[in-house]
Amino acid sequence: MTSKRVVAPYVLILPSFVLAALIVIWPVNELAQLASHSVNRFGQLRDFVGMANFRALLDDPNFIDALWRTGIWTIGVVGGAILCSVPVALVLNEDFYGRDLARVLVMLPWAVSLTMTAIVWRWALSGESGMLNSALMDFGIIDENIQWLAEARTAFPMQILIGILVTIPFTVTIILGGLASIPDDLYEAAALEGAGRWEQFRYITLPLIAPFLNIALVLNTIYVFNSFPIIWAMTQGGPANSTDILVTYLYKVGFRLGKLGEASAVSLVMFGILLVFTLIYVRLTASRGAKA
Amino acid sequence: MNSAKLRRSLVCWLILSPIVVAALFPFAVMVITALKPSTEVLTPTWWPSRLAWENFRTMWAATNFGNALRNSLYVSVLATLGSLIVSIPAAYALTRFDFKGREFYRQFLLVTQMLSPIVLVVGLFRLMVALGVIDNINAVTVVYAAFNIAFSVWMLQSYFATIPVDLEEAAWMEGAGRAKTLVKVFLPLAVPAMVVTAIFTFINAWNEFVIALTLLRSQDSYTLPIQIFSLVSGRYTVEWHHVMAATFAATIPVAIAFAWLQRFLVRGLALGAVK
Repeated sequence: MTSKRVVAPYVLILPSFVLAALIVIWPVNELAQLASHSVNRFGQLRDFVGMANFRALLDDPNFIDALWRTGIWTIGVVGGAILCSVPVALVLNEDFYGRDLARVLVMLPWAVSLTMTAIVWRWALSGESGMLNSALMDFGIIDENIQWLAEARTAFPMQILIGILVTIPFTVTIILGGLASIPDDLYEAAALEGAGRWEQFRYITLPLIAPFLNIALVLNTIYVFNSFPIIWAMTQGGPANSTDILVTYLYKVGFRLGKLGEASAVSLVMFGILLVFTLIYVRLTASRGAKA
Repeated sequence: MNSAKLRRSLVCWLILSPIVVAALFPFAVMVITALKPSTEVLTPTWWPSRLAWENFRTMWAATNFGNALRNSLYVSVLATLGSLIVSIPAAYALTRFDFKGREFYRQFLLVTQMLSPIVLVVGLFRLMVALGVIDNINAVTVVYAAFNIAFSVWMLQSYFATIPVDLEEAAWMEGAGRAKTLVKVFLPLAVPAMVVTAIFTFINAWNEFVIALTLLRSQDSYTLPIQIFSLVSGRYTVEWHHVMAATFAATIPVAIAFAWLQRFLVRGLALGAVK
């Protein structure tokens, strides 16, 4: 490339930079201001209070609970999705009758908004008129209606299951990409050496899709950690805050209780956690780039 | 048909059956409830006594569906165009130029992707208050376009990288300028990538919840997800047959388009992940 064109790339990226910066830099600065000041109900900044908003969070048992629950939610959904996605991707990578249809069916939850999914499930899980209860009764699995969303003991695990279901399509997609990159002759060579299916999986497939699994792991962790609609549309964090995760807690504190300072502090805590995930992701992609 | 493949197909479908059932269950609930006569909605039977197609007509009026549909289309189309218009040059620059700050820019985009709207929601809300554009769907459009830039650039770039430079170089040899080459040679080759990216952005905007919930305040400006959410939240009686009919009408067209296009998406994402 000649030096004459050195301005061109900057001109080309400028519009996207301005637009993306507008919705990130200004709000982040705003969050920092709010979190370090006392803010009245109308959103006016009062005195500088340093870490007081953060300390208020640590004194709030609901915050601590939401923080723990976010961990369970994230690990449960991401772990469950990856565990389910590996076999599904392996099957979808096989040549069988109706594979195209199977792919569409597995990918379908991806196309539907999480809000709609959550609303449909909320109805399906309703205690008296819900069709899940009636389906389970028809099959003789349960013999009395379960009030799925009335207590956290059943509501939260159901939300995690739904989270897994909607996370599978993206995860399968990434893993399929990994499987497609493995040359067939590796398997042929292994079969000649007498390796069985399990050994082929253990020693060829798994190591070669590992980088793809890592990327799915980190990206899903970020998406799931930030996921708001499933819990909000099903229970709004209830009953009695028992299904709150950080994002729903943040929304309640900010927009229901109007404590913008504390809500901003929650945002910044999440920002910090996300930054760690981002660094891990950059590390992973960078080490892959170095290998390639 | 050969019998080995037939047997393999049976095993494959058997393994997939739990996930297929789980994926289809909400669709079944949605369709069946949408077609139940209103008197039967609260009885959890699978088969309605008749198909109540009129639910769709009554839903349309009862839920203000047309207005929300218009808002959703407006926001999604403009956000998609806006996001594409700024992402295409950026993706082109990242693919074809080696410049200082290239890596920095990539990482900046990555950060915008990590910082999903919900983390920034309080700050975004304040930004919109400061600009005086609360309850303005144009503001929502700009925010959607901006949040989709990172993904669009990522997708476009992964496709652009597969377009051989030789083709452009051949055109330069012939004396065509960079701009002309771009318009005559490069962009036509990149059309499939742009279409897939556009559809993905459209679906993202169509389905978005948090920003719309926070920034849109009046029924007149609600998009479909917020409108439908407003039918179930904080109400004592929910007209579930209307809600499911509305969910169905808002979901099925997008789901069909997605089913049709998902293999391109799968390819694009796989390319993106490898890059």
